[in-house]
Amino acid sequence: MERHQSRGLTHRVSRRDFGRHASAAATLAAAQAFAPFLFVGCRPTGMPAGRQPIRVGLLHSQTGTMAISETSLRDVELFAFEQINASGGLLGRQIEAWGPDPKSRTDLYPKRARELIDWGAAALFGCWTSSSRKAVLPVIEEHDRLLFYPVQYEGNESSAHVVYGGLVPNQQILPVIDWLSSPAGGGLKKIFLLGSDYVFPRTANFVAKKYMAAKGMRPAGEMYLPLGHRDFAPVVNLIQASGADCVLSTVNGDSNIGLFNALAEARINPEKLPVMSTSIAEDELRNMLPEQVCGHLSVSCYFQSLPTEANRRWVDDFRHEFGHDRVTGDPLEPQWGLVHLWRQAVERAGSLDTEAIRGAMGEGLTFAGPGGLVQLDPKTQHCTRYFRVGRIRADRQFDIVHQSDAPITPDPYPQIAFPGWSCDWTKGGITRGPEVSIDGDI
Amino acid sequence: MHNFFWVYDLPTETFAILMIAVFVGFYWAGLIFLRPILRQFVKNTRGANDIVGYVLSCFCVFYGLLLGLIAVTAYQNASETSAHVTHEAAALSALYEDVSRYPEPYGQNLRWILRDYTRYTIKYAWPLQRQGIVPVDGTIRVQAFQEKLLDFQPATPAQEILHAEALRQFNTFLEHRRMRLFSVNTAIPPVMWYVVILGALINIAMVWLFDMKFITHLLLGGLLSAYLGTMIFLIAAMDHPFRGEVAVTPEPFEALYKHMVEE
Repeated sequence: MERHQSRGLTHRVSRRDFGRHASAAATLAAAQAFAPFLFVGCRPTGMPAGRQPIRVGLLHSQTGTMAISETSLRDVELFAFEQINASGGLLGRQIEAWGPDPKSRTDLYPKRARELIDWGAAALFGCWTSSSRKAVLPVIEEHDRLLFYPVQYEGNESSAHVVYGGLVPNQQILPVIDWLSSPAGGGLKKIFLLGSDYVFPRTANFVAKKYMAAKGMRPAGEMYLPLGHRDFAPVVNLIQASGADCVLSTVNGDSNIGLFNALAEARINPEKLPVMSTSIAEDELRNMLPEQVCGHLSVSCYFQSLPTEANRRWVDDFRHEFGHDRVTGDPLEPQWGLVHLWRQAVERAGSLDTEAIRGAMGEGLTFAGPGGLVQLDPKTQHCTRYFRVGRIRADRQFDIVHQSDAPITPDPYPQIAFPGWSCDWTKGGITRGPEVSIDGDI
Repeated sequence: MHNFFWVYDLPTETFAILMIAVFVGFYWAGLIFLRPILRQFVKNTRGANDIVGYVLSCFCVFYGLLLGLIAVTAYQNASETSAHVTHEAAALSALYEDVSRYPEPYGQNLRWILRDYTRYTIKYAWPLQRQGIVPVDGTIRVQAFQEKLLDFQPATPAQEILHAEALRQFNTFLEHRRMRLFSVNTAIPPVMWYVVILGALINIAMVWLFDMKFITHLLLGGLLSAYLGTMIFLIAAMDHPFRGEVAVTPEPFEALYKHMVEE
């Protein structure tokens, strides 16, 4: 027996006590020594335990005003995951997708995002409006998750936790002004800026005005109306009075029905005053009368009528799965591409860990989608996209009247509007320039 | 009972053979190891085989009745669930036809939601039901449909009649859908299973008490045990209407969806 001196007291340590303490110490030492080896295979890769499927969250409104647009996005995501599962899954596991309903309420988006992350979603796909995306940002940043956002938006944002698949102003607004004012576009230089009153139209038109000013052009007028506004008769009178020879419309949602109705009632045809819309795709056209919209224009990165073999195959597959009257369109094709870019990133990283995926994306990923080659720009986490102009046909499809020669590199901070601002996530993130005040209260 | 759900993942033949093998194996094992002990109780009793035979006959009447009733209950559960599924698909089909007569874009939007619901039921709800999980995401689709259906304002007397009929059909569909969801966890109560298993054990134990040639004992008792295993397999296979190969299938929905996408 040995004696130990402890706090001035002497006490005996039995063999049993010694053995117990020694065992505990040995166990702790072993746990400490082996823990890195045991856990390196699971925690840092973010893979679920055992053979559990990889979970992903779909953040789309299935009821409420946004449902008619967002449910198509949910469908295309499910279809993509089903195809990946059918081809053996991702990293040898099946993908399980779940999409609770944010009910078209911006306040519910962060709540649903949190529910999805708690459920174990490794990545989130979704959102439509900029307000919903901005509402979700703090949640995904807090939990270090990636959101794959497919819709065209106003730029002036770049988050390391968002991968943007849609067009930004330098891929949409600036080229459309160039095209409209070119001989091919009719040399239209008196452009009336009409939009719904929220962040996307205000910012997009802010960029448009800066660009027009640099080209020596001035907008014929500028006007914003609340989302859901239907009475456009006074607006049409105002446009006519302005002497505009074209309207660049960032009007969103059901308001477009009111706008084209008012134009038709005023007997304004596209030859007289073409409307170039940024937010009318095949899905929106279903709710509009062809005789009112036929001949007007839309700007997009993708149209269903794109005459390529890859697109025909994709549209056929989609319709075979969901019905022959279903349509594809702009945000559906970018989201299809985003799902496949995510798959590539996870495969390359061999992991679901956000940092590892971001690392894989940093190497530059490409995907030959139905709309052409898409490249993920690691600096901005936006995608290179084609710029396309479509003329609306009587069958609610588009004739593609113009396409950029090559995909355009994204720039969420066009220098013409946001001087000094830039973004490079491979070199630390956003470089801030002077604060820019966008007109109006947004 | 939840620990035994893995048997529903087996092919039906394997499940049946497994049940028979378990019962026959148990009987044979008991014959070799337990019979010498149990025989002590009746060893010196004159006409022991007759007595055991009388008691066994009497027991088998009660046990047979119990098994029969339980088998009928399990069959009824499965059959009612199948009827709910068929009726739900039929109501869905009628509703789809009704809303197809709505003016556009209402008709198309409503048809798309119903198609989406049908696809979800086949591809996502059914695999969950097979695991005993009540699928909840169908509710979102039903809510989306209801929202759009109630958006429609009939403009003519004909549309009013059509809309009223669509609402009636929608309620019928909801009723059958609810019944299908209630059936997901329909099963014979555990207490009944305990009685069935106990009865089977007593039955086998009584056969051990007979005094006869070992080979004859092995063969006759083995046959009886095999049939007991078959009966219990039959009840188990029909129990839990959405589990296993002998389960209610989404066939009516599949036929409907094929029609929906090919129209």
